[in-house]
Amino acid sequence: MISMIYIEEEITDHPRTRSLLKRFPEATQISCERYGEVFNRKSQNFRLQKKKPALILAKKHKGLVLPTPKQYGIGAEHNYYFSHMLNCLYDCRYCFLQGMFQSAHYVLFVNYEDFIEDMQSMLSRHEKETVHFFSGYDCDSLALDPVTNFTAEFLPFFTKNPQALLELRSKSTQIRSLIKQEPIQNCVIAFSFTPDKIARALEHKAPSIEKRISAIIELQNAGWKIGLRFDPLIYTKNYAEEYTTLFNSVFSKLDADLIHSVSLGGFRLPKDYFRKLEKLYPEERLFSSPLEEEDNSISYPANIRNEMLEFCKDIILQHIANEKFFPCHEMI
Amino acid sequence: MFHIFCALPCEAEPLIQHFKLTELKQFELFRIYQSKDKHISLTITGVGKINAASAICYHHACINTHPADGWLNIGVAGHKNIPVGEVRLINKITDHQNGACWYPQILFDSAVGSEALITLNKPSENYQDSLFDMEASAFYQMAIRLGTAELIHVLKVISDNADQSTSTVNAANVKKMIAAQTTTINKLILALKPFSDELANTLSEPEHYQDIIGQWHCTQSERIKLCQLLRRWSVRCSDQDLIQTLAKLKTAKQIINTLYEKINNSEFVIHD
Ligand code: SF4
Repeated sequence: MISMIYIEEEITDHPRTRSLLKRFPEATQISCERYGEVFNRKSQNFRLQKKKPALILAKKHKGLVLPTPKQYGIGAEHNYYFSHMLNCLYDCRYCFLQGMFQSAHYVLFVNYEDFIEDMQSMLSRHEKETVHFFSGYDCDSLALDPVTNFTAEFLPFFTKNPQALLELRSKSTQIRSLIKQEPIQNCVIAFSFTPDKIARALEHKAPSIEKRISAIIELQNAGWKIGLRFDPLIYTKNYAEEYTTLFNSVFSKLDADLIHSVSLGGFRLPKDYFRKLEKLYPEERLFSSPLEEEDNSISYPANIRNEMLEFCKDIILQHIANEKFFPCHEMI
Repeated sequence: MFHIFCALPCEAEPLIQHFKLTELKQFELFRIYQSKDKHISLTITGVGKINAASAICYHHACINTHPADGWLNIGVAGHKNIPVGEVRLINKITDHQNGACWYPQILFDSAVGSEALITLNKPSENYQDSLFDMEASAFYQMAIRLGTAELIHVLKVISDNADQSTSTVNAANVKKMIAAQTTTINKLILALKPFSDELANTLSEPEHYQDIIGQWHCTQSERIKLCQLLRRWSVRCSDQDLIQTLAKLKTAKQIINTLYEKINNSEFVIHD
């Protein structure tokens, strides 16, 4: 699946680089000084690259663990996010990564040890307080787990530090590594959903809703805590009917007691990202949605936004307790 | 369209014959050739970076290139141990003079392997693991201003190596080496064509755009708005007759307001 691998000179001999290269013996290896030379260059096309992304192995030097925006969170006061990867195996048409990055190649930062060190220092800053760490902002946390070994390498830190909580945001069914190990109480596997027909139209290459639900059932049976993220909420004429079907199907199949949290987030993109996406995919229906510009971002007009949020909230609260519900869980 | 650049006439000749290109005599600064259907054009740049960069600018001005076009630098190059006559795509170009690097994006499946290349200011027989040439960095640096990294490629046939130095290279055997690779070059163009077509589609104007700006005076910002609205119209109001809707309107402003209103009043369904 990966036929080109760019390798930053500095991490050529990193043990994780060596073991990753062994997984792709046929891939062409190309050395570079810094990943930005490939990834951040102008005059490349995200849409074309998405057809055959390369892997870039790099070292993250600064900003490894960053505070989330104020409104982002699921109950803790101290919230941080980190990205061991940039970009994603899937191709959701609403994904802001298409607007944020010049390139569709997957960047993997192999210096996990530095991320963990930074998380440790964040914990020391908030001694004895709960700190939440979010993964899956710039990538899907689990989609490439068999290649990156991300969960196996990061979870021991959380086992050792119960005051830290990890949210793994995903649409993936790559849960083998999680199933293999004992569940930990301070890790939430948070799955994103849109109704089936919307997912089929917009979430290209992502596992179907049915498969995501099956993966959750397997995780719940193994004792893992689950988060449900109905984010972004996508408007269509029959959204009420479609979201009702989705909620019924999700809540009838899952164990509500093992659901850690449920959140909602409206569809919203910074204006510049939206304009870039529109240019990349001018034929895409999503970009012809009833949208408007407000404070430099593009979203549904307040009446649609509020109507959808209220509608979804009412149904969700029939299934889970109020304290598990976080209505606006938006990062951008 | 695909634009080919060769440094030497002996590199270009087999391609001129293969693609049945004819010289465009009206352009005198560099020799430019083009196929009858205008799908392929070729310019002989001369040796070295300055010539290569100038030739690309000239070609762009003369041929009127499009951002979705393909750009190819085809020629011969040296390498330490790749056998003479073998062909390689280039995955990294380093300018020896200043260390700057470029990474052509090879997104297509190819039977041709890829290697790094160093562009030198002078010929050298100090062979390395990378190919050597004297034009690619300038070609790429200039072409990337006009096209996209996925459609700009360098393809080199090995003309000399540590065992067979440059003294064995002459115009006749360069011609033969390039002629032996015309199938590979054809395949490269065929592999790039779907990418170029897809990009051209995304850059194309929406239906009826030209008719409207031909009939009504539109400012630049009105044209941008019009493009956006016509795209939305095709998704949301495809069952309505656009021309009839606009027929009695007098100004671009009225058109934009009408489109905006009609689109907003239409139902929106995101899937089929
Ligand atoms: S799964 Fe998430 S990160 Fe991946 S393409 Fe979809 S929205 Fe983007």
